[in-house]
Amino acid sequence: MFDQVDFSALELPAAARQLQKEVREFLRTEFAALNFKPRLGHTEFHPEFTRRVAARGWIGMTWPKRYGGQERSYLERFVVTEEMLAVAAPCAAHWFGDRQTGPSLLRYGTEQQKQRFLPAIARGEYSFALGMSEPNSGSDLASVKTRAERVPNGWRVTGQKVWTSWAHKAHAFFVLCRTSPDAGNRHDGLSQLIIELNAPGVTVRPIRFMNGHHGFNEVFLDNVFVPDDMVVGEIGQGWKQVTSELALERSGPERYMTTFPLFTALMRRLGATPDARAAEAAGKLAARMWSLRRMSLAIAITLDPGPDGEKGTPKATVDLATEAALVKDMGTFYEREIIDAARLLATTEPTPDADDTFERHLAETIVCAPVATIRGGTTQVLRNLIARKLLGPLK
Amino acid sequence: MNDVSDVRAMLVESATRLFADQVNAKMLDAAKQDGWSAALWKIVEEAQLPLVSIAEEAGGAGGSLSDLAAVVRIAGRYAAPIPLAETAIAGWMLASSGLKIPIGPLTLAPVHGEKITARKNGARWNLSGEMKRVPWARITGHIAVLAAGPDGDIVACVESSQCKITAGQNLAFEPRDDVVLDNVAVAAGLAAPAADGVNHATLRERGALMRSLAMAGALERALELAVRYATERSQFGRKIGQFQAIQQELARCAGEVAAAVAAALSAAGAMERGQNTTLAVAAAKIRTAQAAHEGALIAHQVHGAIGVTDEYALHHSTLRLWAWREEFGNEAAWAMELGRAMCAAGADRLWPALTSD
Repeated sequence: MFDQVDFSALELPAAARQLQKEVREFLRTEFAALNFKPRLGHTEFHPEFTRRVAARGWIGMTWPKRYGGQERSYLERFVVTEEMLAVAAPCAAHWFGDRQTGPSLLRYGTEQQKQRFLPAIARGEYSFALGMSEPNSGSDLASVKTRAERVPNGWRVTGQKVWTSWAHKAHAFFVLCRTSPDAGNRHDGLSQLIIELNAPGVTVRPIRFMNGHHGFNEVFLDNVFVPDDMVVGEIGQGWKQVTSELALERSGPERYMTTFPLFTALMRRLGATPDARAAEAAGKLAARMWSLRRMSLAIAITLDPGPDGEKGTPKATVDLATEAALVKDMGTFYEREIIDAARLLATTEPTPDADDTFERHLAETIVCAPVATIRGGTTQVLRNLIARKLLGPLK
Repeated sequence: MNDVSDVRAMLVESATRLFADQVNAKMLDAAKQDGWSAALWKIVEEAQLPLVSIAEEAGGAGGSLSDLAAVVRIAGRYAAPIPLAETAIAGWMLASSGLKIPIGPLTLAPVHGEKITARKNGARWNLSGEMKRVPWARITGHIAVLAAGPDGDIVACVESSQCKITAGQNLAFEPRDDVVLDNVAVAAGLAAPAADGVNHATLRERGALMRSLAMAGALERALELAVRYATERSQFGRKIGQFQAIQQELARCAGEVAAAVAAALSAAGAMERGQNTTLAVAAAKIRTAQAAHEGALIAHQVHGAIGVTDEYALHHSTLRLWAWREEFGNEAAWAMELGRAMCAAGADRLWPALTSD
């Protein structure tokens, strides 16, 4: 594992350090200006905040300049992302576009699609959601049943997607669907289409989280027309396209930092002179955070295409999929360790609407604790993937 | 790739070849009786591995602390029964205080912060005090001792034969000896005021870093053995590696190993750059000790009964993991220290401290 990485040499260069300062200052100023009080568990959809992030050039920042990007390094994007997560900034309106659909379009999209969507994402004006899971396709994504039938000039799509975060607020979503039902291998015959969420035949219904929060949706597609120019990449290559960029996605700071503000609040509550038990717990949390971040940072730097690479898409020659799965597996457990440590050291009960930040964050994270080890690849699926790499083919 | 990483790659390759060729079951078994392998030491010393990271002008082999880190990780992977890390730390204490590094295996003392008194006797020094569980003391030629002189700490190069040494051992049969200095005379040229940065705290930090690196290596070995066993052993008509229950455990073990490697090597880099060293070393010792705990138990579980015998190789790694995680402070001690420091700095410093690499 991590054979390509020299951990001892890994450090933030001066430019990234400067950027770190700028993002911290930006977040302090904007949180105050927007009177924003962060909540944990569900990243919030905040179009105004997203536009302000975009104005600083921090959405699609690794993309080519001609598509609205800044051609900055993955490391710099890493710095921006982790700063946002450290204070639970409301990034949902640009999250999927910046992390997933933008890079997919860069790699597989047509010139017209790139021109149309990328600058709009980078300006913080266009939000994407992801249409992957279905009622009978969770971990086994290749079993999706949503069907697209060939019609003149496009496709007619019918099916149902679930767990579609922010579909009720986003402009469009990437839909993984079956374009040839008879393909021999079930990984064949899948394609990715862009469907606008206000298109005729699209119905969005909320799926409420157990605390009443509305972020998830189910999206019904009833004979929705998708023109040919909204097909992403090649028809039949959807599986390859969806799985090709998992390394960055699985190893990013969002896999170990979503409860971090609770750690900060815990430290505030513990004060300057903690007892031995609290000090030990805080020290362990810090050590694990530091170690996870070093691994995540290593993947971001190693996958950076470099000055001569194809901007905005990871270095194709490096396979860190297994390492990324390890980071996600350990990272999502770490997020729970913060919750447990905070809960056991707290002398108050979790209170959803408490004025006190610590008590509120504790309540928010406890109910969301099951989510992180499920979304983006369950613990069990990831571990099978890791083991396959370790063991090789067994007969 | 740049020159530094090319040189490192060559060093890693040659060190790996050396340990892979030299260390074998017979040597490791013999070391349980003899305390070490003098034959291996001779070869490793000839290859100048123990003095990597000490400048050539000071009698070292040159290279960086990260180079040494790479070597210690490999030595840990092969369970090399020699005082490599201790010689490196002792060499650093002596060289940075302007003293000559004697040939032969060295160790450092004290490792538990005991006070050793140094009195002037004309141009010479007399050292007195008792030190617990000094690594490898009985097989070394010299001990680099940090002692309290009348005008501050001194570093003294003490001949091991001048000390009263009571043999002891750790879980892995490595010598951990009690050492008594009873007015031991040290010639003028063999002692000097301790250099800036050589004190009880930094000795403990270096020791903790070295054990973290060795643990990372030992964990890699334990995982290798477990993976190999899972592909070879059949039960219920299939390779045990085909059972998801085993696969899940191996995956968890791989995570612990990766975290240990990342933490230990990162801490070496931090110490080399003098950046946030205390946090990095504490984090590395905590994380590698935790990984040692989880990783060793998973490796044994995958092996079933065969893994717990003294004939099978796994115990060379796991006994060391269980010994090393305690040495130079275990995960609880370091966590309390780190937690106190971070609380004292305040919640607003938490995130900046974690990201100040």
